[in-house]
Amino acid sequence: MTAAAAPLLEVDGIETFYGSIQALRGVSLQVREGEIVTLIGANGAGKSTTLRSINGLNHPRRGSITFEGQDITETPAHDVVKLGIAQSPEGRRLFPRMTVLENLEMGAFQRSDRAGMQEDIDRVFALFPRLAERKSQKAGTLSGGEQQMCAIGRALMARPRLLMLDEPSMGLAPIFVDRIFETIVEVNKQGTSILLVEQNALMALQVASRGYVLETGTVALTDDAAQLAQNEDVRKAYLGES
Amino acid sequence: MASALVLLLLFWLAKNAQVEGFAYFMNIALIGVTLGAVYALVALGYTLVYGILELINFAHGDVFMMGGMISATMIISVFNLGAHNSTFSVVAAVAVSLLVAMAGCGLLNATIERIAYRPLRHAPRLAPLITAIGMSFVLEDIAILWKHPSYVQTPSVLPHGNVFSISGVTYTWEKLIVVLITIPVLLALVWLVQRTRQGKAMRATAQDREAAAMMGINVNRTISFTFALAGALAGAGGLLYALYFNEIRYDTGYKLGLIAFTAAVLGGIGNLPGAVLGALVIGFIQAFNEGLTWHSPGSDWTESIVFSILILILVFRPSGLLGEQTPEGG
Repeated sequence: MTAAAAPLLEVDGIETFYGSIQALRGVSLQVREGEIVTLIGANGAGKSTTLRSINGLNHPRRGSITFEGQDITETPAHDVVKLGIAQSPEGRRLFPRMTVLENLEMGAFQRSDRAGMQEDIDRVFALFPRLAERKSQKAGTLSGGEQQMCAIGRALMARPRLLMLDEPSMGLAPIFVDRIFETIVEVNKQGTSILLVEQNALMALQVASRGYVLETGTVALTDDAAQLAQNEDVRKAYLGES
Repeated sequence: MASALVLLLLFWLAKNAQVEGFAYFMNIALIGVTLGAVYALVALGYTLVYGILELINFAHGDVFMMGGMISATMIISVFNLGAHNSTFSVVAAVAVSLLVAMAGCGLLNATIERIAYRPLRHAPRLAPLITAIGMSFVLEDIAILWKHPSYVQTPSVLPHGNVFSISGVTYTWEKLIVVLITIPVLLALVWLVQRTRQGKAMRATAQDREAAAMMGINVNRTISFTFALAGALAGAGGLLYALYFNEIRYDTGYKLGLIAFTAAVLGGIGNLPGAVLGALVIGFIQAFNEGLTWHSPGSDWTESIVFSILILILVFRPSGLLGEQTPEGG
């Protein structure tokens, strides 16, 4: 890998609004091919809004987003996934009255290669054997951890180049948190770049190569994950040290 | 309390069957099925749209009325049907009229969504409700300008002979034809929602619009499609109404729409089989109320009874007989 290679995803100075309320005040970040990049920060710092700007649900008013050299700033959400960006959203957002298997199939909605889809379903079931056991169960009846697995699996079904995960550990028992983070590393090793939004900064910085700290809609700090984990301010603010 | 009411109702039906004779009672029940079939086609449109947008499309009854007007135009002006036509030409003309009414109303309903509801997608819930009522008036005024305020009479072209007549229970061809057109339309709808890619997109959009967009589903196109589908069903209902009742006016859809809406709520708004069940129940209630004689309130009371039922459901069982659901078929 050459240092000069263009990043997979380039976010440049985006400003995103909810109505008249400005949520992002010029966020810039990059994800390079093969990386796990994490976005940490307090509640309301703009982490989810950054993902919503990238995936096309909330277009930024200013700034630009480029994916594989293509400007996707104004691309609608249903086209963004076709370009290779899939997301496991905050709160999972499964289709509650569809089965686990149907949810996974929805993840591959824009694909038409049946053989490849079956391959990917097997791959998801290999990553999360629990989902295979529950494949005929309605997604709304799964436990929180199982729902998270299903949401990640559903995003993987799009065969994304970039996988965005929003708070995958939120509300989960510690045993599930470990399992989810192991899977994130595993998926990344299989060749998918990952943009990870997390409240659990400690875990996120352990698996990521680089990190961005968001504060009130701007990037306050960016560095290698290991450096950030050592940073005095970060430790105080996000790693629970006083 | 509820079970006491049901028992009382059953007693009333049984007593009537005894007073009138079983054959008469069955004939009235068959009228109920026919009414129910027409109501079902309209009720499904309310439930489909509610399922995907949680919006009551109050213009839907008027879309149905326009379907009746389109059908009347096809039958009278285009095909000039009457008693003199052969069976084959009637069948062909009805089939073509059905397609034209369905296509016309599908387009009309999708257009209404585009101009009256989509711009208000993120507005408070009351706003699209008000534009829906506005669209209802617009359609009625268009109908008055197009067909004048008096009834449009359509010729009685369906055969009135008996399909069967067993010990006084008679079933006429015109009633059977109404059911024969309704059933394939319903089956096609079930197939479309459950088995096709478009149906999958509808179900996903109904359950979580943003998540559906993240899957690559064009949400606006899916909503347009749902309105077109609901409109097409109303168009089919309009044709059947024109053929069976033989007269239609600008305000026919207002009343029938409210009855069909009650049917949809009775079955559980958003629930497709529920809409059909609710429509059949309302069809029976209307037929029994207007046809039976032993302590029957009579036709003057039909609307009061139907809307009392609406009030009772909303108070005691707001999720309807089969429960609230989005268009999955349950």
